[in-house]
Amino acid sequence: MKSLNSRRTRAIVVAIAAGSLALTGCSENKGGSSDKDSKKDQKEAAVQSKAVTYGDAAASTGPAEAVPGAKSGGTIQVYQEQGLTHLDPGQIYVSDAGQVANLLFRGLTNFEEDGKGGVSVVGDLATDSGKSSDGGKTWTFTLKDGVKDENGTAITSADVRHTVERQYASFIFDGPTYLQTWLSGAKYREALPDGGFGKKHLPDDVLETPDAKTVIFHFKTPQTDLPQTLAMPGYTIVPEKTDTKAKYDKAPVSTGPYKIAEYKVGKTLKLVKNENWDAKTDSVRQQYVDGFNFDFGVTESTQTSRLIADQGDSKNAIQLTGSVEATKIQDVIKNASVNKRTIKGYQPYVMALNFNLDRVKNKKVREAIAYGVNSKSLIAGEGGAYGGDVAPNLFAPTLPGYEATYDPYGRLKNPSGNVAKAKELLKGVPAAEKKLVFAYSNNEQGQKRKVAIEDALTKIGIDVVSKEVDAASYSEQVGKLDNPYDMYINGWGQDWPSPATVVTPIYDGDQVADGSPNYSHMNDPQVQKLIKKALTQEPTEAAATWKEAHHYTLEKVLPGAPLWYTKQFQLYGSNIGGARYSTESSYIDVTRLFLKS
Amino acid sequence: MFQFILRRTAGAVITLFLIGAATFFLFVAAPSDYASLACGKDCSPARLEDIRHALGLDQPIATQFWDFMSGIIVGRDFPDGHCAAPCLGQSFYSGDFVWDTIMDRFPLTVSLTIGSMVVFLVVGVGAGMLAAYKRGSTVDKVATGASMVLSSFQIYFLGPIALTVLVYSTGWMEDPKYVPITEDPVGWLVGLSIPMVVMATIFTAQYTRMARSSMIEQLQEEHVRTARAKGMAQKYVFFRYAWRGSLIPIVTVLGIDVSALLGGGVVTELTFSLQGIGRLAVDGAQHKDLPLTMGVMLFGAFFILILNILVDIVYAVVDPRVRLS
Repeated sequence: MKSLNSRRTRAIVVAIAAGSLALTGCSENKGGSSDKDSKKDQKEAAVQSKAVTYGDAAASTGPAEAVPGAKSGGTIQVYQEQGLTHLDPGQIYVSDAGQVANLLFRGLTNFEEDGKGGVSVVGDLATDSGKSSDGGKTWTFTLKDGVKDENGTAITSADVRHTVERQYASFIFDGPTYLQTWLSGAKYREALPDGGFGKKHLPDDVLETPDAKTVIFHFKTPQTDLPQTLAMPGYTIVPEKTDTKAKYDKAPVSTGPYKIAEYKVGKTLKLVKNENWDAKTDSVRQQYVDGFNFDFGVTESTQTSRLIADQGDSKNAIQLTGSVEATKIQDVIKNASVNKRTIKGYQPYVMALNFNLDRVKNKKVREAIAYGVNSKSLIAGEGGAYGGDVAPNLFAPTLPGYEATYDPYGRLKNPSGNVAKAKELLKGVPAAEKKLVFAYSNNEQGQKRKVAIEDALTKIGIDVVSKEVDAASYSEQVGKLDNPYDMYINGWGQDWPSPATVVTPIYDGDQVADGSPNYSHMNDPQVQKLIKKALTQEPTEAAATWKEAHHYTLEKVLPGAPLWYTKQFQLYGSNIGGARYSTESSYIDVTRLFLKS
Repeated sequence: MFQFILRRTAGAVITLFLIGAATFFLFVAAPSDYASLACGKDCSPARLEDIRHALGLDQPIATQFWDFMSGIIVGRDFPDGHCAAPCLGQSFYSGDFVWDTIMDRFPLTVSLTIGSMVVFLVVGVGAGMLAAYKRGSTVDKVATGASMVLSSFQIYFLGPIALTVLVYSTGWMEDPKYVPITEDPVGWLVGLSIPMVVMATIFTAQYTRMARSSMIEQLQEEHVRTARAKGMAQKYVFFRYAWRGSLIPIVTVLGIDVSALLGGGVVTELTFSLQGIGRLAVDGAQHKDLPLTMGVMLFGAFFILILNILVDIVYAVVDPRVRLS
């Protein structure tokens, strides 16, 4: 789940981004104007919509390819505004904790990047990305030799079983639910209420561990995305003997290159080398630096000022999931020596003005708004071309199936809105239907969006009644089925590079419920039929079905007006080596960093 | 004196109880609750009830309040272990005992408070006294003018300027940070010097004006005039007769200011990205974390009350005319 406007989004969600990502920041930034960069981003995004590949045993064998010029030693300073919500792997579903998880934890699989836009899934603790049989209903993984937790205890298939089963326990509630749902259905918790901590375990026809090295998943329907699903931080391994249930969230046991030396929730986190991590077993991560010191509570403004100044400890610092503050973007791009210390790229989020379809029933009104909204002014509030790009449709540039020129509402031609067309559509619409309640978050970002929406929609003849909503509970409030609002801005991004993780959660009628990300309450039989069809198809076949579902949704239903694609723009200190944009996380790649001196 | 302290202490306990009650009931009346926020994306009514039960939010409000307040005196038992008195509860958000979290953040807040207090008392009161002593002179005009200008500044304005000039542009100093004084006294002073000075600057202006006017007032008192008429040396009159009397309003305001600073200098901590009590209060409110918010509120209120009592005691020491009865 990747809602951009949830309480979890203060640390924007892990983006298992696509190989399709623009990767404008994968190589060293040479500077340049925002317009040029933006056009380059769009061009590269448009041509790189390729699917993730699955790596074999050779690709999964460590050590990871050395980073040119890398040195060992030193400690990297990490700046982050908000503390981590969770550190229990089972609870991790957001990007800040996901970034940390990539240093601390290992799963059966992981994403590997080639620095040129290619992303593959490789075996992490497993010898490869998994072997499927029975048409994708059965998946077998074999554990590598020599993989241990931080205590030096070997990781076995029992630990994998435990990791899966504990996801059914009630104290795990914030992590991904894909695997559990695929194994045991929507009401998966009923299948194993005690999460495997008692005598009851998942039966062998669901999860099989015939020996210490082998793990076999049995699904009722083909799950061709499983290797990508298992690469999510939420499915990294919790060694059975170390599990302290709810307490694990504050003191998890490492299986990755670093372990926790000290953790003060919301204040500091110190990571040091895990001596029991063996580089020969890991084809993705490096262990160049001695450790990472995380300082929480450092605002994005301060992060940016410190990194621009590049003094003292800031030379060794990175932003974890924070971005260059919007007001300081020009300071960065106009200074060549600073601009070359940036990484940029598309994030997987599409921001949309969602309509509450239970209230805004007149499609002409929705269409008028889709034509009339001003993406340009909204993007200006996000930092301009470095904060986002005009979104002509509901598929992000990071998603396989992205169509750069699919623009049913003329957004690319009229990024500031087509007022004449919108007014024409509203002719004859009763005044009562043109009076709409817009919910906005009561933070700085929400205020900017409110002004832009009010301004654009008033011009086309909509009577906008703006209602302020508490920022901390914004998603909760607009996520209620009987909410009193007509429209609200939300963002969504894929969990891994498949439209299945976008169309299904936000446009499937089966997902309409309180707290569901189907904010528009869309429940269209045709779209549901297409979703069901695509989920059982091979990726290449499914692509056409997803495209059909996307087009139908946007043109025939119109649950929301696409506004903009979000972009990442981060800064790091001058002594940081190996920095590059991670297409997997949509943030700085933390697995290969070193200090130059 | 003993009766006075006893009476004021009893009053302070009652006041703390009332502050706790007000905070608690205002928080409970807030539109959203922590259980809903913590419930996650697949929140079911059953799960919401589980969370409410785990957090004790399914208990009657009066019971919750009593558990919290009694825990301060006798401690409380939580599933994670015993929380020894003074137990301020367990944070909903972090799961840590609130008292432990406050104690972790308090050294920074104390450091900022004491450091800035030393600066603004020495510089502010000193400049004010000097201005009063040299009333009408250039020194007086400069001190008065400067205090007028500085008193109009705010930390959120002066702080970023100081950072830009001293850290980001010139690199003369490093980013503010807290190093325990027990580990590295020099590092402690250097790390916090910018926030201390910025915070002190705002207060210095206020104390300069207050000290000046208070001293001028004292210098016009009859006993001071009498001392002068008797031919006493100017310095003797100044320090022996006028100075002590002029401290009364300064001590009063100092008590209020220090207690407020110990309760958390929110703006200072946010401006300089420091993690003290003020930041903790903001976090508590943002996360709808009732125990943390309650804990920080009571902790701050405790200092306000204690320092008020101390101020009353200091009155008697500074000015024997004041009787504690």
